[in-house]
Amino acid sequence: MIPPNIGQIPPELDLFAIIFGVFATLFIYSFLVKENPLSRAVEHLFIGLAAVFTLAAMYDAALTQAIWGTNRIAEGNYIWLIPILLSLMYFFFFTKKYFYLYRYPVAIVAGIMAGMVITGLIQSNFLAQIQATAALPLVGAEATAGTPPEWLNSLIIIIGIITALSFFFFTWEHRGPLGISVRIGRYVLMATFGAAYGGTVMARMSLFIGRLTFLINENYEEWFWAWYLVPVALILVLIVLLWSRARPTPTTPAPSPKPTEKKKTKE
Amino acid sequence: MSTPRLARIDRRYIYLLLFLLVSLPFFYPLKLPLSVGEHAQAVWDVTEALPPDSVVISSFDFGPSTITENRPQAKAHLYQCKERDLKVVALAFWISGGPLGEMVLREVYGEDFPDIPEYGTRVVYLGYVPGNEVGMQTFGDSTVSAKGTDHYGTPVGELDLMNEVTSAADFDLWAEWTSGTPGEQQVIQFVQGRHGGPSAVPLVVGSTAVSVPGMMPFYSAGQISGIMNGLSGGGQYELLVDGEYGYPLVEALPLLDSQSVAHVLIIVFVIIGNIGFAITKYGGGQRS
Repeated sequence: MIPPNIGQIPPELDLFAIIFGVFATLFIYSFLVKENPLSRAVEHLFIGLAAVFTLAAMYDAALTQAIWGTNRIAEGNYIWLIPILLSLMYFFFFTKKYFYLYRYPVAIVAGIMAGMVITGLIQSNFLAQIQATAALPLVGAEATAGTPPEWLNSLIIIIGIITALSFFFFTWEHRGPLGISVRIGRYVLMATFGAAYGGTVMARMSLFIGRLTFLINENYEEWFWAWYLVPVALILVLIVLLWSRARPTPTTPAPSPKPTEKKKTKE
Repeated sequence: MSTPRLARIDRRYIYLLLFLLVSLPFFYPLKLPLSVGEHAQAVWDVTEALPPDSVVISSFDFGPSTITENRPQAKAHLYQCKERDLKVVALAFWISGGPLGEMVLREVYGEDFPDIPEYGTRVVYLGYVPGNEVGMQTFGDSTVSAKGTDHYGTPVGELDLMNEVTSAADFDLWAEWTSGTPGEQQVIQFVQGRHGGPSAVPLVVGSTAVSVPGMMPFYSAGQISGIMNGLSGGGQYELLVDGEYGYPLVEALPLLDSQSVAHVLIIVFVIIGNIGFAITKYGGGQRS
């Protein structure tokens, strides 16, 4: 069984993790100046590490579920062999002769997901939303409570829903009352996209701040601080950027001959 | 500066300015005032309303890329659960959430976790539960079918706490720390939907800010009981936990000054961009 602390850095390697972290962070951010070999190297390293980690953890999770720990198959619960065999069938993707066998697990997974999503989605994203909109308070004590009053929020939501939906209504030409509704709907959609953009900015800033915290505050037993390495990493980035600038631009390779021309040559 | 030049500011100057301004509060904290919003308050209220010994699911469905936002949220909420004597079943439906969840649990329950007296009776860590949405639904139907062992290889049948909770209906709160799929929408679709509707398992969410606008309809409909919105939501929650229990693991609060500065800068850039656009459009210049 793979140790449970897979994915965590052992304490004895903490110093190396900090060193690696500083270089990886700054090399990746150097992409903002210009794409360069350092940013590409760390990018590829990240993809490789993520793939290996996912493979190891998935393998462990599948076998722990069926064999190790639970002993399900050993206890005669052979139904657990079916998902394992189905998973192995994915590897037929790499053969030309048996490629059709790869389609079975794909079809089964797609079928399961379709079945699950249809029932769940209709309830959660459709019926529940309609019920909630229909129950919005417009009159009564609940509607007048709060500042601004609840009825105002309800009214904005109702108008927003109707006008935004009308924007996607193409049966009639967008003129007259429908045209007005469509115009309001467009503003509602723009406000929604604005809110989403605000959220995106907030999220991206948080991630940047997180990396800055690492570069400024991370330390190894309070004698080796991450920021010691920042100038070294920056100098390396600068050297590579200048080097790639001085390098002659590779000439564009000549276009390969068209398939028809190839055939003619063979003949 | 002529209009075309305004439109052609080298983006690298913007990055540099952003870097300098965001770094500044690290050295000179601004200590800007922070108020707790309605959504973070709702998470607090729902959790505080639970009687002691209630069982909470803490689901670490995020990766290292959003650790800055999701970790403070999960940590503060877990600390509140611990202080309130709530039982916790922690797990991850994201493969990368497995090690991150363990990291958070160690910070809250101590470095010796899981070798602590309350492990198995008051707190359990199941680790990664495979299957994404299918795993989530299976866990909602039957906990033991979704994961036969905990993160450390102990069969769940040997853990007292897991014998108390056989399906989602046995839990009192689902706390979802998410930055994508599977996340809160999958809990709503595949767990709440199968167990009698929104009231079956109250759901609170700590999410990256980018996903929060999409969650609002679910919050309004009562399918989500409370939301921690990104780093800011985490900071607000830390404020609440610190006020009530004294929180020693504060992480998000000191970073909010930097975030406020960054937001002001972005707003300024948006205004400049719009002025540039207006000048180009109405001043006779060329639109770039």
